[in-house]
Amino acid sequence: MARVMLDPRNWYAIAADHDVPHGHIYRTTLGGHELAVWRGSDDALHVWQNRCPHRGVRFSLGEVVDGELRCQYHAWRFAASGACTFIPAQPDRKVPGSIRATVWPMAQGSGMIWTGIDPVGSPPMLPDGAVIRAIPIAKPAAVVTQALPTDGLALMLQPLDEASAMVRGIALDGDLARADRVLTALRRRLERAA
Amino acid sequence: MILYDAHHLARCYAVRLLLGYLGLTAEIRPLDVYPGHQHHSDEFLAINPLGTLPVLIDGTHVITDWQEIMAHIALNHAPDWAPTHDSALIGWLGIARDLGASAGLARMIDTFGEAGDAVAARTQANALLDEVERRVWFAENAGQLWLIPGAQPSIADIANFVFIAPCEDGGLSLRDRPALRRWCDRMRFHPGFVAMSGVFLPMAKPAR
Repeated sequence: MARVMLDPRNWYAIAADHDVPHGHIYRTTLGGHELAVWRGSDDALHVWQNRCPHRGVRFSLGEVVDGELRCQYHAWRFAASGACTFIPAQPDRKVPGSIRATVWPMAQGSGMIWTGIDPVGSPPMLPDGAVIRAIPIAKPAAVVTQALPTDGLALMLQPLDEASAMVRGIALDGDLARADRVLTALRRRLERAA
Repeated sequence: MILYDAHHLARCYAVRLLLGYLGLTAEIRPLDVYPGHQHHSDEFLAINPLGTLPVLIDGTHVITDWQEIMAHIALNHAPDWAPTHDSALIGWLGIARDLGASAGLARMIDTFGEAGDAVAARTQANALLDEVERRVWFAENAGQLWLIPGAQPSIADIANFVFIAPCEDGGLSLRDRPALRRWCDRMRFHPGFVAMSGVFLPMAKPAR
């Protein structure tokens, strides 16, 4: 997947808190980087590169077991730190410390889960309201950002890859159905345009 | 009950999945659909002149429609799984048929060489998947886990699941459809779930 430039100092919202219930591995991309987000048994959230270091299979095909993430392919297990803790094919050997999942920065705020390359400080504070349903739009973030509606919505973009972006945000009046109509109309308009 | 079956066909999987959830067994008679074309044999066409699978034989009943088979089994063994009191059941079964003719067809074209227009199939499938995603997101937001309000999934969930869960094999994507991925997980983790090519079982609890 072709990558797009991210501002390495920025926090990007890549999911809503409600996107990641216990036991679920949420899948998304940020600027062409594939990410997996999961919740440990202690409720802590983890943002990882969506790729097992063993054979490269997506972690989002795996499962959360006893507070660890287990790859679907060979059932290697990884602790919250990213360290591999167990290799079923070698149950009696100590796992080399060099085998690790790639862990991304993670912050929570305003009902969202945030990450970035090397983000500075805390994620931006969003105004009070309800977290809307995120809407993917098959246009580059640079195009979508110029068309975002402003009335009653605090919106931001998650660049997915070079060709598409996810619109996320807050409905200030809490009217999720109205926000959905506004954003799906925006999506239709932008995707129809050449 | 006798079920004429082909493992990789989503409509057959729907019946096996319902049997799994309900803890029922049927005598499975697998047909070599590809490359054997056994469903075009005189022997099978004598049972189902349409040549389609699955077919259920239950006593004197010979049922050749996959949704009717599910309704028949549910109404006879677990009526909660066929919520006929809710008119939304008709709508969801209809969406599932449309998904079969789009997402399901794209999967058959891409992975089993069936004839058809994969691009047109994906265009229709994307519109349907977007709409199901929207509905499931708002249902979750209202605390409702299944397509038809209830304590457990129904044949509406099964009918849609068998085309949505393996849709990436047809060149579609669930990546930006997080509510569908969560709903697929709920189906997979529901007791009695059975797998199909491309649709994983939850892994067993590990011994470590």
